[in-house]
Amino acid sequence: MKISYNWLREMVETRLTPRDLATRLTMAGLAVDAVEAVGDDHVLEFDLTSNRPDCLSHLGVAREVAALEGIGLVRPSTNLAAVATKTIELTAVEVLSPELCPRYTARLIRGVRIGPSPEWLVRRLEALGQRSVNNVADITNYVMLETGQPLHAFDFHQLRGRRIVVRRAHVGEQMTTLDGELRDLTPEMLVIADAERAVAIGGIKGGEDSGISAETVDVLLEAASFVPGQIRQTSRALGLATEASYRFERGVDPLGVLDAADRACTLIVAIAGGEVLDVAIDVFPGEAALRAAENPIPFRAERYRALTGLSVDIGEASRILGMLGCRVLPGADGESLSAVAPTWRIDIRIEEDLIEEVARIAGYDLLQTTLPGSAGAGAYLAGEEDRRAIRRLLTNAGYHEAVSFSFVNVGLDALFSTVDESQRMLLLDPIDETQSHMRTTLLGGLFRALEHNFNHGSRNVRLFEIGKCFIGHEGEDGRPREVERLAIAATGARHELDWQNSSARLDFFDLKGVVESLNEALGLPPFGFRSIGVDSHHPALYPGRLYPGWLHPGRAAEILLGGRPVGQLGQLHPHIAGQGRMKQAVLLAEIDLAALLNSTRPESRYHPLPKFPAVVRDQAFLIETSVSCDSIISAVRDLNLPNLVDVRLFDIYAGRELPAGSHSLALTFIYRADDRTLTDEEVSAAQERIVACLRNAFNAELR
Amino acid sequence: MSERIDQLRAEFERDLAAVEAEAGATALRDRWVGRKSGVLTAEMKRLGGLAPEERRQVGQLLNELKTGIEAAIDRLSGEFAVRREAAQLAAERIDVTLPGRREVAGHLHPITLLRQRIEDIFVSMGYQIEDGPEIETEFYNFDALNIPANHPARSRQDTFYLSERLALRSQTSTVQIHAMQRREPPLRVIAPGRVFRRDTPDATHNPMFYQVEGLLVDRGITLGDLKGTIEEFVRRMFGPQTQIRFRPSYFPFVEPGAEIDYSCFKCGGSGCRVCKGSGWIEMGGSGMVHPNVLRGVGIDPEIFSGFAFGLGLDRLCALMYGLDDIRLLYENDIRFLAQFR
Ligand SMILES: [Zn+2]
Repeated sequence: MKISYNWLREMVETRLTPRDLATRLTMAGLAVDAVEAVGDDHVLEFDLTSNRPDCLSHLGVAREVAALEGIGLVRPSTNLAAVATKTIELTAVEVLSPELCPRYTARLIRGVRIGPSPEWLVRRLEALGQRSVNNVADITNYVMLETGQPLHAFDFHQLRGRRIVVRRAHVGEQMTTLDGELRDLTPEMLVIADAERAVAIGGIKGGEDSGISAETVDVLLEAASFVPGQIRQTSRALGLATEASYRFERGVDPLGVLDAADRACTLIVAIAGGEVLDVAIDVFPGEAALRAAENPIPFRAERYRALTGLSVDIGEASRILGMLGCRVLPGADGESLSAVAPTWRIDIRIEEDLIEEVARIAGYDLLQTTLPGSAGAGAYLAGEEDRRAIRRLLTNAGYHEAVSFSFVNVGLDALFSTVDESQRMLLLDPIDETQSHMRTTLLGGLFRALEHNFNHGSRNVRLFEIGKCFIGHEGEDGRPREVERLAIAATGARHELDWQNSSARLDFFDLKGVVESLNEALGLPPFGFRSIGVDSHHPALYPGRLYPGWLHPGRAAEILLGGRPVGQLGQLHPHIAGQGRMKQAVLLAEIDLAALLNSTRPESRYHPLPKFPAVVRDQAFLIETSVSCDSIISAVRDLNLPNLVDVRLFDIYAGRELPAGSHSLALTFIYRADDRTLTDEEVSAAQERIVACLRNAFNAELR
Repeated sequence: MSERIDQLRAEFERDLAAVEAEAGATALRDRWVGRKSGVLTAEMKRLGGLAPEERRQVGQLLNELKTGIEAAIDRLSGEFAVRREAAQLAAERIDVTLPGRREVAGHLHPITLLRQRIEDIFVSMGYQIEDGPEIETEFYNFDALNIPANHPARSRQDTFYLSERLALRSQTSTVQIHAMQRREPPLRVIAPGRVFRRDTPDATHNPMFYQVEGLLVDRGITLGDLKGTIEEFVRRMFGPQTQIRFRPSYFPFVEPGAEIDYSCFKCGGSGCRVCKGSGWIEMGGSGMVHPNVLRGVGIDPEIFSGFAFGLGLDRLCALMYGLDDIRLLYENDIRFLAQFR
């Protein structure tokens, strides 16, 4: 909103320069964004908070300046000559919808000459960004900018029946507004009508047929109050925002109506000639409610001190509130008062509001800086230490942290999730129709990020995200479960900076290694991994979810913690990779973070270091490729050989000379006893049992 | 006989000077002091034919000669060994300017970096970090925060609704309410998190962004405590010279309310591009918790008072890192993400 410095000075003789005034007002809560020199004047551009519609005018800002500087306020002058003819002899006003229009006043001005506005009026409007139309229309605009009260001038002879009816629009009613647009109206909207038809959309815009034209001689001047909610809804519904609707939807003082009308009449007679008929028609159905709302609000010096930390002189508080238009009643104890807020200050309702008024006029820069007393130790969110450990581990492993929107494209989300359609939450009014569903997986966002990076020439991409997914509606009030997950995606070079080994590409086992090291970092027992084939069904992690079809069916694993599924890991299905034009392997993992953060950690215990040397035996077996490494090692462990302390895979070989469907697994066996050095014979006997066991169980042959 | 010794010495000196390689040194040793065919060994054998007095004299001379020759050959062999080792090491020379072998380092998201810094500061000031749901009821998102029924923030124009009752939270102030419902005062809470507003993405807007909300409720808390707390925070965040100022402002859930500005971390207040010439940067809204909010969660505003404040992480991020387009924050381009530490 724009305010002219010179115009303001007609009402309050500020001692401040435009720039200093802007700073003073900003520090009192009326934020001035810019000060611009226009001719011999300055225009202050305000960014007002929504609770201060009373300052959407020169008079309103002048009142603030007067209170801030403790100087007088001169209201715009009115001067109406007595005329014998009474307004009610020529016209009538009927308010059929008092719930939407608490007050409607009409004045008649006879015998005006419509023409261009005088130079000073044109300049003043233009400085504030308003275009001059004609003298009468300009005056209604001018008075709105001056007093904050929107006005509307009708050509009296275009009003059929010479009367005003304030009512809701009829079903199917239409009207052409001043801008030439034909508007479809509904019964939720308030119209100003004559005896036959709507002639204005109440508080928003006038009609084309009834407006002021060059031929207009008699003018009916409307000054009224409208209910803010209805104005806002109608303005939105019609896509029609005007200076009038802007003010009415924030709140205009119903008691300022007649003053504004008289001020406009005074200017019309002075500039366009004519005479103003005696006494405005004033229909004021909202008066009783307005008076009833005028309650004295208490103000205690003690309460002021309690909230601001500053002491206040009750006389000073009384002076400030009085300058702002409050009716102040002194308290009995001299340490309190009560104040009735002026009708233009819809934001002042309780004691704390009065406290802010006094504090801001006195100046917030008076506030001391104190620190509340100590309240013991602070604390991070539960699990934050683990989240930070995970972030550290992953960034050290070359993964960048991604952050994606909580809402996604449902098609993309469904590619990586088997959450049932009925378990999804969707936005009623998305900004982008294609991004309308709450995510049920983090993988959609990471896939989109991979695509983005590919499209911008990055082929080696490692990303992770920690965030919430939204599933179901079983919570209180139909809320979804908000599930915190960790997702990881990787593709490209295994060692991007290794110039001797630049051709190696990330594969399943690289990402598996990262997943495995998470447990090490968090001090959790190791994850288990289970191959998940096409027919598997895993209801535990994601209810109703089948085999995760976004993964390569031969390269997909379920991640287990304590035997319970907590996520999946695998290579992106080539079909989906192809959709993102990714020909190289893409590895994905998603883990239920809550399961990790909430699981119990084994405590560290000291084991004595071995006193006797270990005996190490390596042995290769020829075995069918369908036999998993895990099952072989488990079979060996299940023998419970007394001195076998470890067995692990150290090589896999699959040469052409081996039988089809078989490969060679080389295992290392480590034997040790706590009380002696083992003999060759003891170890060989144990090895023979292993060989026999693997032959029986898996048809494994020694190589 | 001493002529013979001199002659041998001269002969050895000639041989010694002629050696050019390590193998030559070995041959030299064999030829002169070798046990079987060494020149001196042969001379020693010839001593037997001499008279005892002469044998003693010549023997002594020969032994001296032998000691000298052996020392000379040892010295020569040593020199060759050193040279051989030096040559070997020289051959093993590498280009030390070739890149080291390591993983490319990953980076935390800039929002995480800032959030962790802010959390660290407030935890050290005795605050507890709290979290709340991203999907909220109208009660938590609006009613409990004293946001009037006809406030534009409630409209479907401004807020993302998921149903009649549920919406994506439009401010982290919702966590205030959860915290005050869960626990009795005194309480000190910091709630960082995602919030959502129906803004079309452009260089300065995203429909999702991060806020950090602060709340302190106790007996006798004043606006001065709020000002002191914020001053402490900005000094730890931006440096001890940072100034703050409070401007009256309006947020439905506080009264009195204040907008907080802090002196520009770039220019210190003289005016620059970061602060658009004003010397001040807007931090966010704050104020004394509105008595309606306190009463709504069963706290008596005549006994307890409190302050609340909020700040936007995305804007702070843009200012601190000089970002000219905040849409980059959520595109997850690794060329962008790799820039922050
Ligand atoms: Zn600056």
